[in-house]
Amino acid sequence: MAHPKDRPTGWASNRREFLERSGGAALALSGAAGLLSACSNSTTTATSTNASGQKLGPGGYPLARPNQPVTLKRWEDPIDSNLPPETGGTFTIYNYPNYLDKGVMKSFGEKYGVEVQLTSFQDINSGIARLANGGVHPDVMENTPDNMARCVAAKLIKPLNLDYIPNLKKNLWPSLWSPYYDQESRYSVPYTTYATGILWRNDKVSEDIASMPQPLDIFWQAEAYKGKVALLSEPRETIAMALLRKGVPTGSNMSTLDLINTEDPDLINQAVADLKQLDSICHIKVGDTQFQTIPEGTTYLNQAWSGDWLAAYIFYLPKNTPASVMSYWKAPTGHVPVQNDCWSICSTTTKPVLSHLWLNYINDNGVARKNFLDFNGYQPPLEELDPSTLISDGTFPENARTAILTKDDFGQGHIEECTLTTTGQQLWQNGYSDFLAG
Amino acid sequence: MYPRWLWSGFSLPGVVWLILLFLVPFYAVIGVAFGSVDPLLQTPVPAWNPATWNTGWITQVLQEMAPGGVYWDPVRRTIYYVAISLGLCLLIGYPVAYYIARHAGRTKTLLLVLLIIPFWISYLMRMLAWVNLLEPTGYATRFLDFTGVSDLAVRSGLLLNPQSWLGGASITVVLALVYGYIPYLILPLYAALDRIDRSHLEAARDLGASPFRTFLHVTLPLSKTGILGGCVLIALPMFGDYYTPDVISGAPSTTMIGNQIDLYFHGGPQPTKGAAITVVLSLFLLIVMGYYMWTIHRATREASRA
Repeated sequence: MAHPKDRPTGWASNRREFLERSGGAALALSGAAGLLSACSNSTTTATSTNASGQKLGPGGYPLARPNQPVTLKRWEDPIDSNLPPETGGTFTIYNYPNYLDKGVMKSFGEKYGVEVQLTSFQDINSGIARLANGGVHPDVMENTPDNMARCVAAKLIKPLNLDYIPNLKKNLWPSLWSPYYDQESRYSVPYTTYATGILWRNDKVSEDIASMPQPLDIFWQAEAYKGKVALLSEPRETIAMALLRKGVPTGSNMSTLDLINTEDPDLINQAVADLKQLDSICHIKVGDTQFQTIPEGTTYLNQAWSGDWLAAYIFYLPKNTPASVMSYWKAPTGHVPVQNDCWSICSTTTKPVLSHLWLNYINDNGVARKNFLDFNGYQPPLEELDPSTLISDGTFPENARTAILTKDDFGQGHIEECTLTTTGQQLWQNGYSDFLAG
Repeated sequence: MYPRWLWSGFSLPGVVWLILLFLVPFYAVIGVAFGSVDPLLQTPVPAWNPATWNTGWITQVLQEMAPGGVYWDPVRRTIYYVAISLGLCLLIGYPVAYYIARHAGRTKTLLLVLLIIPFWISYLMRMLAWVNLLEPTGYATRFLDFTGVSDLAVRSGLLLNPQSWLGGASITVVLALVYGYIPYLILPLYAALDRIDRSHLEAARDLGASPFRTFLHVTLPLSKTGILGGCVLIALPMFGDYYTPDVISGAPSTTMIGNQIDLYFHGGPQPTKGAAITVVLSLFLLIVMGYYMWTIHRATREASRA
């Protein structure tokens, strides 16, 4: 699954995150012992099929899809309403290292009389493993839709009492009030949103990408930009792009949503074969630093998340480079993969009321906007942040319009890269490994 | 008198360190490679008891690392990169070590300090610095352009164009490996060369050998253990390296086998596969290490006979 928070914020922290990530990997390579105690507690079968032939995921829930929403069972009652927040001590947030503004955390601590501490993970999977093996005891965590059922099945997150979180319906897009992966928002509230498209330097790339019959073809026509073309280093994103480029196979009754969540080995293998052609065509690179390399001009053409344009503009655009040189294209709703991140309350919390208040606080208009524009660069799903407002108030220039999402992007018919069965995940990961092998 | 166990007791911290921080973690990796994956949390379930080992992953990885397999290209590439880097490190490092050991005179200490300076900065930071230096407008790129090195590299087919040092070129990855690891080669080489008894060299010269023949027949053989030791010291981490191609290139055409390990350890349902590749790579390195140990053993035996 794509995780743009792998994108660090700030040049210095870019290096810092790489060091942390590499350190984590080195640890994994040299000693996996830390991971191991998490392994023996769970016996739930991850995937199988129910009576109606639906594929089941963690906890026996059907694999959640926008057209097949899932209601997660509450494994315990939520806390009562109208309880006073806990005060004193430490409030621990479990998140990526550079995905939350320190000022936002500090203000929350001052408001409720607690010391706010960030405990970080390098990727969501290792984060969940550490949570499961008791290596960390956070109060709240940043979470992703594809991990929601797993976290509930393993009782790692607690059911919510939405009475404490009025900002959900007051400030956020209605399309995310009761998301498909967690109907009724029983365990999560949204955090940031993004789409996957193409980011390019229009002063270096001569083609009018947005006007091409299939803009994704540009990667297969990029001979002129050898060494300056890159894809995201995410198995789901790269292979999904190759699948979307060719579209639903003729004669197939699958939808575009089915296509980007396919577990058909033939389709995956064809997509990987297509991706492998890119080496000879444009000497393709992979990486998640397009928010930096595009404004700096070290790459000209990148697969990218919508937030990359915004982050590039806010943080990385050199002073003598106009924003007009950066273009972003994404397909229309129903053809562009979109995604959102979430917040959940961890079962290890010692401050359940305060944790609810955090989920409300982070979706406050002012707080979410500050976190977005001052640090994070990824758009929260606030009603007040529509493209027209952000452009008319001068926050972004006109050509940012295509990179700013609206509630319609998450509306009827939208597509997402959703949870796969274990077999499906292996298929996609092995396919990406094959592409990465060069 | 001292108790008999006193001197051997000095090795205890080292032995404990080795057991706790190498043998146990390495056995954990083996356990993971021969184990399974928790279906819910997708974390590895290690098989501690060899009687319960599942050899499926190792078998699969061995097939995929063989010629024609998915990992054959990264394996082949890794061997090429390491071999070329080792050769370049020796070509550059041996004269440096030789000069310091034999001819540096009063500047020897200063030169040794200068050699150690790169250790003050982490390997990753040094690699990241090269990303800035090798950008199209970076200082290093401009220098390489000015001196004609970039043109030469382009004409040789090693580079796409003079500004594309970071464009996924193998030459950049190899040079980065050389830059990153060469200090680790020079120091043991220097130690080996410095230990050579000068009377051997004088004897060779007295018997009429030219300086070149003296070097070829006396210095070089006597420094063989240093050469091998230095090569082993840098080859082992090079084989597992994944961040150098990641930082310097990022292209699938330059990925090494370490990048595949990194992929499988960073999420997903197959950490066992990452562990299996690690174990197979370790077995290969064990062979390299075995040759080194055998050479050292033989050299020690011959020295004691003499």
